[in-house]
Amino acid sequence: MKIDAAIVGIGTSGFGRRLAESQLALAAQAFKSALADAGLERSDVDGLSIHLGWPLGPDYDRIAEAFGLEIRYVNQAWLHGRFVTSALQHAALAVSAGLAEVVACVTAVSFTRERGFLGGPGDVEGNREEGGTHGEAPPYGLTAPAGGAAVAMQRYMHLYGATSAQLAAVPIAMRNHARRNPHAIMRKPLTLAAHQDARMVVDPLRLFDCCLISDGAAVVLIARGARARDLRQKPVRVIGMQGTRSGRDEFIFAPRGLGINQQSARRSPDRQIDFEVFAQAGLEREDVQGFYTYDAFSPLVLFALERFGYCAAGEAATWVQGGRIELGGALPINTSGGLLSEAHVAGWNSICEMVRQLRGTAGASQIANAAVLQWGTAWGDSVILAA
Amino acid sequence: MLPTCDACGKAHLPPGPVCPFCFSGNITWEAASGRGHISTFTVVHKAWFPAFQDETPYNVVQVELDEGPRLTSRIIGADQQRLQIGQRVEVVFTDIDEELTLHGFRIVTA
Repeated sequence: MKIDAAIVGIGTSGFGRRLAESQLALAAQAFKSALADAGLERSDVDGLSIHLGWPLGPDYDRIAEAFGLEIRYVNQAWLHGRFVTSALQHAALAVSAGLAEVVACVTAVSFTRERGFLGGPGDVEGNREEGGTHGEAPPYGLTAPAGGAAVAMQRYMHLYGATSAQLAAVPIAMRNHARRNPHAIMRKPLTLAAHQDARMVVDPLRLFDCCLISDGAAVVLIARGARARDLRQKPVRVIGMQGTRSGRDEFIFAPRGLGINQQSARRSPDRQIDFEVFAQAGLEREDVQGFYTYDAFSPLVLFALERFGYCAAGEAATWVQGGRIELGGALPINTSGGLLSEAHVAGWNSICEMVRQLRGTAGASQIANAAVLQWGTAWGDSVILAA
Repeated sequence: MLPTCDACGKAHLPPGPVCPFCFSGNITWEAASGRGHISTFTVVHKAWFPAFQDETPYNVVQVELDEGPRLTSRIIGADQQRLQIGQRVEVVFTDIDEELTLHGFRIVTA
C-alpha cells in the first residue's frame, strides 16, 4: 500500500502552566480551531488517533462522546510521548487504506495537574517489574524520564568528551526560536551563563536541559491526497515514514550501542534500514531543510541527529554549535521553540509548526522556501513532510 | 545469581522465560561473581522520593557485571563527587527490613 496522506488542518489551544481548563476543554478548543483551519465540519471526522489518554489527557471514547463524533477508526497507543510518531503514522495509514476519510490526532495534556507521572511515588509505571520504560528503578532512587536521559548523557560525555556547556547550545537554540513565537511559554533570553548557573536536577542535566511542565492541546487532521486537494489549505503531504525501533540494543533515550541498560557498548556502523525514511520519500538527507524532534531533554536532540546520520557517532555535541541548528543555520531544529521553550504538547506543537512552515505561514520563524522537513526522534522513528 | 542459558551459556537481565540471545527455554540461576564496573551513573539532586529526601543528592549507577548484563544500583560509602565510569565495583547486600534486601556496590580499590 502506498502512503497517500496529507495534513489538512491544525489547531491548538493556548499553551500555559496551571491552565484552568480541563484537558477535554483544551481539546475542544484545538479541535474547533483545526476544523476551521481545514474548512471541515466535525461530521467529516471519522477517525481518531491518540497516544496520551487518561489520566494525562482524554481517551478516544471520551472525545468521541463529548464532541458528538461518529468514529469508525480508532488508534490509541500507550500513554507516552514516544508514540507521537506512531499516532501520526497510524492516521496516515488509516486514510491511505480507506479505513477513514479524515483522522484527527488529538492531544490535550495537563502536565501541571498530573505531574505525579513525572517521577516520584506517583509514577506507578516506573515500578514496572523489569524496570521503568525510561530505565526507572525506584528502589534505587532513579525515577522520572529525566533519569534515563541523564544516565545516557553521562556515558555519552564520558565516551566523547562532550560537556554541559556544549549541550547548552540545544536549549539556547530552542529559546531563541521561542523568542520569535508569541505563543511560546518561555520567551526571555537564555544565556550560556544562565544555563550553567541553573540548578542541577539529575546530573548532568541542569534545569534548562529539561522541558517545560505545561498544559495545552493540539489537533492535527489527516486526509487522503485527493480529498486534501479540495480543502481550504495547501496540503502538507506525508512522503516518508519509518517506525519505532525496539530491542536489546535500543534504549529509548540513547542511540544504538551507547551501552545503556542492556544495549551493546559498541556503536555500530550506520545501517541503511535506519535511513529508510529518506528512501521512501525519494530524497536525500541533504534535501531536508529543517528538523523537528521530541526535545524532552537536550541530549535527545543530539541523539536524534546521530540516529539520522546528520553527524557521526559522538559528533553531535560539537555539530550543534555556532547556530547550526538555529533559524538561518544549516539545519534549523524545532523552529517554534520545542518542548524546551514553546510548550510540552508531546511534540504536536512542533508538528503544527512544520505544517505552518510548509504552508509558508510561519511568520517571523519562516524557513525560506521550506519544502521538505523531517520529524525524527531519538528512538528512531520518523515522518518526512513536504509542501 | 543470574539467569543463565543452558544452551548458549550467556547470562541475561532482566530475568525472562527464555534466553534473549538463543531463545532457549532452559534457564538456570547461576552464582554470579558480584563484580563488574560502573558503566554510567548520575547524581540525583531533586528530592522526588520522601524516602530519599535526607540523603539527596545521592548517586545511582548502572553496573556492567563481568558476566555481561547491567544492573541499576547504587554505590555505597563512596564520595559520589568522584564516581567515574569504568571504576571496578563489587556487590554488597543491604537488608532494608525483614523482607526486603537490596543490592548495592562498593568501589574496589586496586
